[in-house]
Amino acid sequence: MNIVRFAARSLRREFRHGELRTLAAALVLAVAALTAVATLGQRVERAILASAAELIGGDLGVAGRRAFAPEFAAQAQRLGLRHSISAEFPSVVFAAGKSQLAQVNAADANYPLRGELRVREADGSERTVAAPAAGTVYADGLLLVSLGLKPGDTLELAGRPLRVAGEILRQPDGGQLFALAPRLIVALADAQDSGLLGLGSRARHKLMLAGDPSALARFQDWARPQLKDGAQLVTVAEAQQNLRSAFERGESFLRLAALLSALLAGIAVALAAQRYARRKTDEVALLRALGLGKQRVLASLSLTVLLLGLPACLLGAGLGLALQQGVLTYAGNLLPAAAPPPSLQPALAAIAVGLAVLVGFALPPLARLRDVPPMRVFQRAIALRPRRFDLLYLLPPLVAFGLIASQSSSSAIASALAGSLLGVTAATVVIGLVLIALLRRVGRRLPGALRFGLANLARRRSLSLIQATALALSFTALLLLAVVGPGLLAAWRADLPPQTPNQFLLNLQPEQRAGVEQRLLDLGARNLNVQPLAVAKLVAINGAAPRVEDYADRRAAGWINGETRLSWSDTLPASNTVQAGSWFDGKASEPQVSIERVWVDMLHLKLGDTLSFTIGERAITARVSSIREADWTSFRVNFFVLLDPASAAGLPHSLIASYWLPAERSADLRAVSREFPNLSMIDINAVLDRVRDIIDRVSSAVMAVLGFSLIAGLLVLVAALNVSAEERRFETAMLRTLGARRGQLLATVLGEFALLGLIAGLIAAIGAAAAGLSLGHAVFRINWTPPLLPFAAGVLAAVALVTVAGWLGTRGIARTSPLLVLRKE
Amino acid sequence: MSPSAEVALSARDVSKAVSGPDGRLQILDGVSLVVPAGESLAIVGASGSGKTTLLGLLAGLDNPDSGEIVLAGQALNRLDEEARAALRRRRVGFVFQSFHLLPALTAEENVMLPLELEDGGDAQTAAREALAAVGLAQRLHHYPSQLSGGEQQRVAIARAFVHGPGLLFADEPTGNLDARTGHTVSDLLFELNQARGTTLILVTHDMNLARRCRHVVRLDGGRRVEDAA
Repeated sequence: MNIVRFAARSLRREFRHGELRTLAAALVLAVAALTAVATLGQRVERAILASAAELIGGDLGVAGRRAFAPEFAAQAQRLGLRHSISAEFPSVVFAAGKSQLAQVNAADANYPLRGELRVREADGSERTVAAPAAGTVYADGLLLVSLGLKPGDTLELAGRPLRVAGEILRQPDGGQLFALAPRLIVALADAQDSGLLGLGSRARHKLMLAGDPSALARFQDWARPQLKDGAQLVTVAEAQQNLRSAFERGESFLRLAALLSALLAGIAVALAAQRYARRKTDEVALLRALGLGKQRVLASLSLTVLLLGLPACLLGAGLGLALQQGVLTYAGNLLPAAAPPPSLQPALAAIAVGLAVLVGFALPPLARLRDVPPMRVFQRAIALRPRRFDLLYLLPPLVAFGLIASQSSSSAIASALAGSLLGVTAATVVIGLVLIALLRRVGRRLPGALRFGLANLARRRSLSLIQATALALSFTALLLLAVVGPGLLAAWRADLPPQTPNQFLLNLQPEQRAGVEQRLLDLGARNLNVQPLAVAKLVAINGAAPRVEDYADRRAAGWINGETRLSWSDTLPASNTVQAGSWFDGKASEPQVSIERVWVDMLHLKLGDTLSFTIGERAITARVSSIREADWTSFRVNFFVLLDPASAAGLPHSLIASYWLPAERSADLRAVSREFPNLSMIDINAVLDRVRDIIDRVSSAVMAVLGFSLIAGLLVLVAALNVSAEERRFETAMLRTLGARRGQLLATVLGEFALLGLIAGLIAAIGAAAAGLSLGHAVFRINWTPPLLPFAAGVLAAVALVTVAGWLGTRGIARTSPLLVLRKE
Repeated sequence: MSPSAEVALSARDVSKAVSGPDGRLQILDGVSLVVPAGESLAIVGASGSGKTTLLGLLAGLDNPDSGEIVLAGQALNRLDEEARAALRRRRVGFVFQSFHLLPALTAEENVMLPLELEDGGDAQTAAREALAAVGLAQRLHHYPSQLSGGEQQRVAIARAFVHGPGLLFADEPTGNLDARTGHTVSDLLFELNQARGTTLILVTHDMNLARRCRHVVRLDGGRRVEDAA
């Protein structure tokens, strides 16, 4: 027998009768949801990344202490990437007898590649511009104030007179919090001609790139081995620790939504396949009696399902691509930039996941049909030989956990999800068994129709348990999407509380501290946090000089070749938590150091290791006594390395302060600047506005994706319920034949489904709340309390949904002749 | 039974027991029989006497606990399940009390099934001829639910004969039909049996049907008690 042809013919015949349609529909829906969510997620993420690229002025860059060889720009050109060359260096600027140290950015005409450089010109008009033309500069407000200049005036840099063409209002790469001085943008040619970039210059050269992601990836691969002398790649994700943390969390939400869609699909496919397998039992017995071997039975069944699954997955992928385009067209204004064109990769991955779900969830019930005894053609009572344990039953949980592990962005998400889903499954089975036992005892005392409905639940014990578990898992996923996800998202948005520090102050000398603090407090500053800052060089780890090539993490090179800014404190800084070891107690006999988790991962450090630094003329070797985790989104000053205060005594240092000042008082800082001319003041209101804006946009986009997954999940749930509701058709027909009234039929169905919905909804609410607590605590580091009202509403919705869907599934019977149903059985 | 005739099916000392709530239950106890090729045998007995179990064992659908069954010259207990399936595919046809037509398939498609399993020739033409032979040439595209009981059993008979099996096993073939329809169906069964030289083994409660067979085996409590020619 040609098994493929036979399977194809079976499929054609059976599909005509609609039995397999439910399975196909579940699969189409699942792959559509996965494709839409993943493609949308990817496009939204890329659009957001493009917006984040504004913060570094490009999509990718290389930065180093020497100008990059022309091959770098040539390679970028070959790959079709736009590029911009710039150099940053501190330099003193003079004007009208005054001087001020400025952070100079010398850029070519292509600057900025991403984002917007906005200036106010001499006539007061605001314009978006490129880098200044040769002979002109743009200066920020602080520089103009300190030099007593206004747009149109002239300043002097390295002996060259340059006209101030405008005051910088907004600058793409202004997000660097540690820019030490007011900023000045000049033409690259001017800087080169004036010799500021020559030998011995302290400039940091940058080549920024923008363009197609695959070309960028190729450039990154090409450039990495060419980077020498501490030169580094500057990527969007790495450039800004604060933003990266925000992205990771946004991405986690997206992945969570997509993952839950896939699990919902698995549940629907498992239910549909189970139903299909039950229907096929008699047919398989007949085919085996007619001489079809066991292996061929399995091959034909698997092929039938696969021949159905493959086109269903393709159709789902097409539908998903169309749907995400629809969502983007509708909600395109949510995105900070035009969404990039969709790539096929998420769709292909969704098809692969769809097939994995099909095999993982549909195979076990189908494979068991192999064992249907051919004698069943004579004696229908012969059932499958019961097995206490079947390895195949492990397949669905294995596929589910495989999906969780592969789609989750962190092990914490994976374990929180897997734990709660396992818990929900176990709880449903145990509570279900207890309730069924209870129903058997008290069911007889219930009124007629309701008794029949509840007796159905007890009689079909296995089916009821499977159904309750599937429903509970579905509701858990839906509650996670509908209640927990948005809740966590809201908590995350509220994570940047009012009075988040918006001003930084650098180069404060210890003897100026009291005076400056008082002036700031008089201006209305809040959350003032002053910390010492020393510039150190890391010279040894455990006695040996660190070598860049020993560390896979590219960031290590920066700290090994460059400088480390460290601090000290006798109390644990706010927004830091000690993860291992203990905070300084002042009793140690040797110097101690506390390091942040990033350093632990990057330099493979552990408690008890020693780090040696030179700070000015002094050398300190300190033992790692604690490992901290800092909240980088807090906008407080955080340090990777903190020394114990006793060992740090007498080290050369300045002070760094962060504080919040009402935006309208910013102008008053000019007076402080004049009084203490050595201070570098950084107003990060603009950066904070940008971060808030990006967080707002990320969360809006995530909500759009969550909403879509929610609809997909609901549709899968209804499909699953319809499949199981067909089980009731025969009994309903029987009751009608025996003369049952419509009201009695309704009571039977409603009683049964309402109880099922209540059990599933209650367990799901508890499971989702537990998962939410665990996700909030372990993954998103947010304090989130499960809200009672939405969860109660969720349980009620579950009861209503299951009851209505169950009633809809059996409603058709009232319009069909019971004879037809009975004859079909 | 003439000892010189070619033997289509023989059973020697066949026993079968199953586990039940009250311990082990002996279904068949040392049953032996021989059926020459082209002849017919009826197995009769009260409900629970082991008739259907014996029919299933004779057709190779299950293995006896002891004893030997030889079908078309092959000892079934020496064949594994796959080989027994292949033997059934080529040599055996079935007619069941409850017809066992696949509800998703039309009459024609149901009849094509054994040929499709064997991958034998033009299944559609053969199926149409077989349905014409049972008087259902006009019902090719009807589904089982659109056919009467008698018509369904005629489709089942067409399916049983379509691949030219040497042996036909029938379990209460008229059990679900009224007397008149049952008579028509049994006429058809015996006509085809005669015309095609098929060996027919049937289980029935209906003594009129049993008497139309050349041999009758009576079972009581799993034992063979008497024969009636």
